[in-house]
Amino acid sequence: MSVILALAEQIEASAIGVAIAESRYAYPVIEGLHLIGLSISVGLIFLTDLRLMNVFLKRVPVTDVLRHLRPYVIGGFIAVFISGGLLFWSAAARMLESPAFIAKLIFIALAGLNALYFEFVIAQRAPVRENHSLLPTSVRYAGMASFGLWTLVVVCGRLIPYLPA
Amino acid sequence: MTTFEVLTWIQDSALAHAISKTDHLVGAGLQIIHVMGLVALLASLVLISLHVLGLAFKQQPTSEIARESTRLVWLGLFLTALSGTLMFVATPKLYFYNPAFQLKMGLLLLAIVVQLALFRRTASNTTATPAFARVSVGISLAAWFSVAMAGRMIGFI
Repeated sequence: MSVILALAEQIEASAIGVAIAESRYAYPVIEGLHLIGLSISVGLIFLTDLRLMNVFLKRVPVTDVLRHLRPYVIGGFIAVFISGGLLFWSAAARMLESPAFIAKLIFIALAGLNALYFEFVIAQRAPVRENHSLLPTSVRYAGMASFGLWTLVVVCGRLIPYLPA
Repeated sequence: MTTFEVLTWIQDSALAHAISKTDHLVGAGLQIIHVMGLVALLASLVLISLHVLGLAFKQQPTSEIARESTRLVWLGLFLTALSGTLMFVATPKLYFYNPAFQLKMGLLLLAIVVQLALFRRTASNTTATPAFARVSVGISLAAWFSVAMAGRMIGFI
């Protein structure tokens, strides 16, 4: 762990890290882009989850929701990862010492695994591909898991400044 | 009563003390509700916009998509307004004189006016010309994203 922390301190002390941390506007603007990117990517995932739970846009086929929203979810994620990476760059050591940041990374990984399982296993089954009106309960559970995990990601992210080491 | 006296009165009220004098995680809880509300608002708005622009669910009637999504937009606005008001009540002087907060309130007013005057008409009216629809969707999204950006700046300015 001390090796990782030493590395984090080096990242933070690099030219870009210091530039972001010391600029009056860079840090808040990157925070703002992180927020907007997450509203689009995670926000559209929330709406997709509500569709999988069968409580939102019931008459729109699940495959349409998945396919039509995908480019915007991915686009939003690119903005989130770039801005998040820059924020980490400027405060790497502090981030690694915050339990909220570590928890956030774990929940992102779990949400990602859930999405992959849904995409490559559940969504490949005939009832989903053929847009049956009655979908298997596994679809609903995948939506609930995604909704819960992404909520935890947002909660942990907001708690980072409140839960320092 | 001057503005400053009003702000002092709010800051000394029982509600303000209840929020600010308890655990600091109460403030964090309000921030979390504020973010979740904003995510609901912006994502639903993006969804209606994509539909109006013909980028998603073209085969579905606009009225249906707009009705369900608009409900979530208002739910998101309600959650952000409620949590935001409580945050303001806890430390009104901190917010009132903050230039990012002042900018955010101006942009919020603009976004709501745009929403009621342009966007609602576009989302409910299938005969709106594509050019009018594109412009009103663009202005509306720009206004709401600016509100989010200005809001995120409050803590840093």
